[in-house]
Amino acid sequence: MEVVRLNVTGLARYRGREGQLSFLLHRLTGLGTLLFLSIHILDTATVYFFPSLYEHAINLYRSTPLMLGEIILVFCVIYHGVNGARIAIFDLLFPGKWNIKTQRRSAVWVLTIAILLWLPAAYLMGRSLLIHNFGF
Amino acid sequence: MTARTEELASRQVEVPEGLESIAWKWMRYSGLLLIPLAWGHVLIQDVLVGVHRIDLNYVAMRWASLGWRAYDFALLAFAFAHGVNGLRQVLNDYISSEKARRWLAWFLLAFWLLLSLIGAAAIVGGVRID
Repeated sequence: MEVVRLNVTGLARYRGREGQLSFLLHRLTGLGTLLFLSIHILDTATVYFFPSLYEHAINLYRSTPLMLGEIILVFCVIYHGVNGARIAIFDLLFPGKWNIKTQRRSAVWVLTIAILLWLPAAYLMGRSLLIHNFGF
Repeated sequence: MTARTEELASRQVEVPEGLESIAWKWMRYSGLLLIPLAWGHVLIQDVLVGVHRIDLNYVAMRWASLGWRAYDFALLAFAFAHGVNGLRQVLNDYISSEKARRWLAWFLLAFWLLLSLIGAAAIVGGVRID
């Protein structure tokens, strides 16, 4: 028990601030996207292997919980992309810029840009959810 | 203190060329490529078209175009490989035994190959409407 508690506190506190937040968000959004992608490859493959099952899969995606999940998924894909671009650009072009000041600033920029890109998408998807599942 | 960490951060190190450094580079190349590929796919299918307008006929119509099939094929190849290698990197942080890491790598390679083949077969075979 003690070990678990120490690990959890350690995980939450490791260095902290923007760097730790973007590290955690990058992993969580990446793992979330991969989980969905693995399922999505299989559900799409039913169009060839078991066409009658595809309709069933799509009906699940049309349910309210999964449409809410889809809105979260879109945030994951956007955040992971913007933050990944930050990592790739600094690693490949400006490796000397991996210092605390630049990275704290760029991590905040990444989160801001990701939220700004996500909001219009979330609005359109939320509207579609209200129209189709709640009769608006 | 700050000055010292910054000095450490910009230190240059020699990395031997090998599978891991190739994987490291390709995570960045494939990641950059996936920004237009994955964002384009999500924007069209999830945001603009929406799951309520997607069915077998919609997939058949989209895959009638060879260009969209090639697009989906590229997405499958790059996104899934990028994702499974990312999962390997994350899990390696929690596995310290070299033997367990090797088993994990083989297991993930098999998982990646299996799902990629299933997905690729569907894209090549297309929609079967009875």
